[in-house]
Amino acid sequence: MNAPLRYLLLIGTAVVLQRGLVSHLRVADAVPDLLLLLAVAAGVAGGSERGAIVGFFSGLALDLMLPTPMGLAALSFLAAGALAGRLRASDVRAARWRVMAICAGSCAFGVIVFAVLGALLGLSGLLDPRLVAIVVVVAATAAVLGPLAVRVCHWADGDIDRVRRALR
Amino acid sequence: MLLVLTSVTLLTLDYRGFPPIDRARSTVLTVLAPVGDFSSRVFEPVGQAWDGAFNTDAIQAENQSLRTRVDELEGQLTSGAVAKESLQQLLEQVGIPFVGDIPTAPAKVVSGAVSNFDTTLELDKGRGAGIVKGMPVVTGRGLIGRVVQVSDNRSRVQLLTDGDLQVGFSVVGTPIIGTARGAGRAGQLTGTVDLARDVAPGQILVTSGLAGSPYPAGIPVGTIAAVTVDEGAQEKRLDITMLADVYDLTFASVVLYQPPS
Repeated sequence: MNAPLRYLLLIGTAVVLQRGLVSHLRVADAVPDLLLLLAVAAGVAGGSERGAIVGFFSGLALDLMLPTPMGLAALSFLAAGALAGRLRASDVRAARWRVMAICAGSCAFGVIVFAVLGALLGLSGLLDPRLVAIVVVVAATAAVLGPLAVRVCHWADGDIDRVRRALR
Repeated sequence: MLLVLTSVTLLTLDYRGFPPIDRARSTVLTVLAPVGDFSSRVFEPVGQAWDGAFNTDAIQAENQSLRTRVDELEGQLTSGAVAKESLQQLLEQVGIPFVGDIPTAPAKVVSGAVSNFDTTLELDKGRGAGIVKGMPVVTGRGLIGRVVQVSDNRSRVQLLTDGDLQVGFSVVGTPIIGTARGAGRAGQLTGTVDLARDVAPGQILVTSGLAGSPYPAGIPVGTIAAVTVDEGAQEKRLDITMLADVYDLTFASVVLYQPPS
């Protein structure tokens, strides 16, 4: 199985998990965002271009499920994935906490871009105080799940050696 | 750069109402229906365990609140029947028919909001039940939203609490009309009426059904909780408490109504 197919499988799995499981795990009226996390993790694992591509398609999957403007999540997740790849590229050390910080920061960036772009497009209720809770919850879960998601993306990239090293 | 341009193009096409995008969303709704049902069944215990573990205080508070409410309702049972009759009489006086006269399609709520910033829920009925995009959705207590996506066997409803959904209302028993929209808070709407109009907390609001409105007249919307005067805008701002509860819904009915063209 090649990398695009593996990422397609990951996006499908993330959609199912987001819809069936994660959307029920509400904290302060906010939920984790697996599709955004996948984009960011792909950026950390494969660089900014990979992050942008996976972010575009995972965002597009979310756009197809929601009545929000088509392309809004695609553009936001693309930006988050690209940022994660850029931050990872400038980071020479592979400490776990750095990966967690990059995942958290990039996911927070993705949420804020979504809210700001949505507000610019005329959607209301995106830049209200609830945005803070959403950013915190999404970033916190991204920090916790980030290292695991990055390993999964290494698998999708076919970088089995890195997965094996991480599992040791 | 190509993907950025594609995203911007999609945004532009969707903004201009490009039909294939609607069709693509409808297809996804159909395709994901069995997947959603399956994953909901599989993960339901996890969701319940989460609620049990992290929302205990909220559940206990809600339990206590419900007990108090039951006591109140038992006491109000008799007066409630009288109030209902009074409301009916008021509506008849202003020539507003009840929504009960219009056929409805009862449906089960199969999925709530999928992600953050999502104020929709999904029903297990679609075109097969006569549902089309734009139809109003109600519970036994009043309006909750409007259908925004339809497939053969599913429909997605945008809740009234979403600030982008607007509803024209009339104040029962008066000729006063205004508009309301979501306030970004659970069960709350904000509305406006002309400054010269005399409105007061406690008055009941129903859909106005004026020409061009996607809602038929007479669907209960909410009650006025507070009124503030905005001299600058020459209007009165209303805090409205929705009559229908949009959270923890199990069933809802789509009103099979299409405004006259």
